[in-house]
Amino acid sequence: MKNKLLQNHFFFVFPLCLFVGLFILLPVLGTIFNSFFKDVSFLERKFVFLNNYKQLLIDSAFWQSFCFTILFVFVSVPLQIVLGLIFALLLNEYIPLRGLLRAVVLIPWAIPSAISARTWQLIYNYNYGLANFLWMKLGISTTPINWLGTDVGAFFALVISDTWKTTPFVAIILLAGLQAIPQELYAQAQVDQANLWQRFYKITLPLLKPIIIVALLFRTIDALRIFDLIYVLTGGGPGGATTSVSLYAYKYFLTGDFGYGSCVSTVLFVIAFLLSILYIKIGQFYKSIIV
Amino acid sequence: MTEEKLKSLLIAFGSIFMIIFCLSPFVYMIVTSFAKQPDFLAAQTNFQFTFSNYYSVLTTKTLHFVEYLRNSLIVSAVSALLCVVIASLAAYAITRLSFKAAAVILLFTLATSMFPQISLVSYLFKFMTALGWINTYFALIFPYIAWILPLSLWILVSYFSQIPKELDKAALVDGCSYWQILYKVIFPVASPGIFSTALLAFIFAFNEFMFALVLTTDYNARTIPVGIALFQGLHGEIPWGNIMAASTITTIPVVMLTIIFQRHIIQGLTRGAVKG
Repeated sequence: MKNKLLQNHFFFVFPLCLFVGLFILLPVLGTIFNSFFKDVSFLERKFVFLNNYKQLLIDSAFWQSFCFTILFVFVSVPLQIVLGLIFALLLNEYIPLRGLLRAVVLIPWAIPSAISARTWQLIYNYNYGLANFLWMKLGISTTPINWLGTDVGAFFALVISDTWKTTPFVAIILLAGLQAIPQELYAQAQVDQANLWQRFYKITLPLLKPIIIVALLFRTIDALRIFDLIYVLTGGGPGGATTSVSLYAYKYFLTGDFGYGSCVSTVLFVIAFLLSILYIKIGQFYKSIIV
Repeated sequence: MTEEKLKSLLIAFGSIFMIIFCLSPFVYMIVTSFAKQPDFLAAQTNFQFTFSNYYSVLTTKTLHFVEYLRNSLIVSAVSALLCVVIASLAAYAITRLSFKAAAVILLFTLATSMFPQISLVSYLFKFMTALGWINTYFALIFPYIAWILPLSLWILVSYFSQIPKELDKAALVDGCSYWQILYKVIFPVASPGIFSTALLAFIFAFNEFMFALVLTTDYNARTIPVGIALFQGLHGEIPWGNIMAASTITTIPVVMLTIIFQRHIIQGLTRGAVKG
């Protein structure tokens, strides 16, 4: 009986382990391993131990991409959380056509980001894009913004587009948190004559805090590895100003320098991995699932 | 009383902002796809309606739009289907046949879903080159399955764990094997959950970009996100009309799916992402 049980576990779980092992775990280990080599196409592969990492420390273009990525996370993620919370509060209200409204919010999430990035590219067009059209029509300013041609313009163009794409996801997660808050608490607060702001600040926010932290960490890890949107919208430009770490590594792979590209990717991997451990710890995923 | 009014005012304004914010790029995409010139917002020009963008995107052989779309549909559907089968088996074992490694597998797959894709692609590229699979469906389907497995597993585990254990105990007493319990008891009861999972897996595979960018080289296997990202005119100009028509044709079905199955998607996303 015991043996039969063991066999069953094995058969049921084996395909999963095989796929994750072969196509995720092995590639990551291969990349880490390769980061200790000088590995350029058509040249002989050579073990150089930490040389790539030493080069990385003094590579100013890498540090530029690193700083850009961190800054991008620090600006875009809080914005997405605040906006996502507002959307979640709205979606939680009993308003007409609530189902349709929820579907509308999901639309940016459902469209492949490489495709929507192409639309954003047109939106940010200097001469006839929607962004400058609104900017001038709403009377905010009379001079158009050079969105994709300047460092600051390109940065905020990316922040806005990424916020559009990812806020729905944050909203859906926070909505689940809102729905878990017992309604009696609000009823009691009403009896105590707490106003709208007090009810939000004293009940909603504290009870939602754990799930906000989970969403924050998840978004941070996701924003750190940003690639698709930047690849299409700015290509990392102008002049490398919006090159994320992922894109920086990709450019090395593209030129055939696998060793150095792997080294850059490994740095990103280590940061993401440490954060994901924190995510798993804080999220307390054990309790809910493993009985 | 005034507070109630303030609240409904906030909700009204908030909802209008939310709708405009979420829909305007999508609407702009559709409108531009019907415009003769993409610069209709400029001062001296007017909007001229035309179907020519659609006509040219569907008939111009060199754009390969139809092939890209076909590749995307095949790769995403096959990946999603296989992924759900593999994830169901594992989710069944994890929720039903309690064993020590279950927690490790769950948390480990969760961690792998956070890995940056860039730390996988160079090795996958070498791996697929060695196998001679570059620019084939295989080069995409296998990594896609692995890539969307964690999400699928988590959603399914959460659905399966809600099915009362008495159901399969009864089946065991009746002499069913574990396989029979899986497809006679679990699958029918959990079918809405399995459907949600398949739908999400499909959307995730359909949206994938980096693997497709690195592991394919032309229209024989390249998927539509990469195809549209790399669309270029013959003389290096950006063919906005074609791009917007192609984007619209591609996204309308996805958007329809999202609207129709909004409930399933929200449930799946919530279960897959947050169990806190």
